[in-house]
Amino acid sequence: MLVHIPSPLRSYTGNKSEIQSDGSSVDDLLINLDKSYPGIRFRMIDEQGGIREHIKFYVNREQIKSINIALNGNEEIHIICALSGG
Amino acid sequence: MADSLSKSELLRYSRHVLLPEVGVEGQQRIKSARILVVGAGGLGSPIVLYLAAAGVGTIGIVDFDKVDLSNLQRQIIYVNSDVGSSKVERASKRAGELNPEINLVQHDIKLSSENAIDLFNQYDLIVDGTDNFATRYLVNDACVLTDKPNVYGSIYRFEGQASVFVHDGGPCYRCIFPTPPPQDAVPNCAEGGVLGVMAGLIGCIQATEALKIVLNKGETLKGSLLLYDALSIKFDKLRVPRDPDCKICGSNPTITKLEDIVVSCSTKTISASDLHSQIKSGDKLVLLDVRTPEEVAICRLENSINIPIVDLQDRLNELDKQANIVVYCKSGARSAKAAELLTQDAFVHVRNLEGGILAWIRDIDSSLNVY
Repeated sequence: MLVHIPSPLRSYTGNKSEIQSDGSSVDDLLINLDKSYPGIRFRMIDEQGGIREHIKFYVNREQIKSINIALNGNEEIHIICALSGG
Repeated sequence: MADSLSKSELLRYSRHVLLPEVGVEGQQRIKSARILVVGAGGLGSPIVLYLAAAGVGTIGIVDFDKVDLSNLQRQIIYVNSDVGSSKVERASKRAGELNPEINLVQHDIKLSSENAIDLFNQYDLIVDGTDNFATRYLVNDACVLTDKPNVYGSIYRFEGQASVFVHDGGPCYRCIFPTPPPQDAVPNCAEGGVLGVMAGLIGCIQATEALKIVLNKGETLKGSLLLYDALSIKFDKLRVPRDPDCKICGSNPTITKLEDIVVSCSTKTISASDLHSQIKSGDKLVLLDVRTPEEVAICRLENSINIPIVDLQDRLNELDKQANIVVYCKSGARSAKAAELLTQDAFVHVRNLEGGILAWIRDIDSSLNVY
């Protein structure tokens, strides 16, 4: 599935803004992303397994509040990060 | 109705007046509007210029900073001779030269929990052109508490975001991002860079949204987050629902009065002068530079080693866990994250250089290049 990566996390993906990955759930997808891009999951998920408050996930353009959402492999995922610059 | 605008105003705004969505009545609404622009930087520059050109009757500008040479790459309201001068003073002067028919109000202050409510109450609408999370949350909270629309924009590298918060029953910024991230979690433009044009692109979207709200025409970004990626030249718009549990605009708010926003930082720090003293006294230190090679090429501390922060996790074995390590970056945010990473990995003596290499250059060695 297509995953959109926000600028602050592109240092992990070799500056790629879009990557193809897979997973049976959002949680699984993030684990797979971390295998390809070590350290990226910790920037989005805290020590308690919660979504960090400056990160939002969208599955097929709908915001999700839990990473335990099942995926069938055809979804488009947006990862959004708060930006401060002005 | 045409009597409400002078002859020269009708000529000046004729391309507006010709628009069915504006007309004389709409231009009069723009003339009667009072808009506060918070931050006279990259975003604030085009916002102030376009709102002034459009004939917004009263424009307040808040900033406490002075123009720096590094601002001119994107802060197009300033010219070279403005370096060192007050931003609000120069921005007001430039906007006044563009349109002498409007009223420009200079607020040469740092926005705080003490002054924000009184200030916001003097305006109809607030445009957020700030460059840090603490002020963004302050702007949002003050907008919710004074019930003023918050026209939001932010930029980083080749990416920008825009939205309209606290407008017509829509969400606020905390409905998306409930609390500010820790200082070291998200780099800012001073650390990561930004394409100057991004400030123009997003600032112009903010100015457009502000005018649409004043005119009460069209569909605003209320309830949506606009994303723009310049590298792939893609615009995207994602729905942002109002959060019924929002800390400030939800049904049971826990934030009921304005407080200064503290952006947390959990690592031990060392000042540039203390580090200088320790180096001079011969303390055995490892100076770890976590910036990118591009930044290192501009300036570096003598005898430092460079491991970019993105590589740090994979290269921890290059460092001695018992060593006395001082981590630095440009201004201290990335190195705070790196220091936290080292501490979590059982490194014993780790400190973050407060203010980064910029503080070192300012306090110790001004011969190094600033960027």
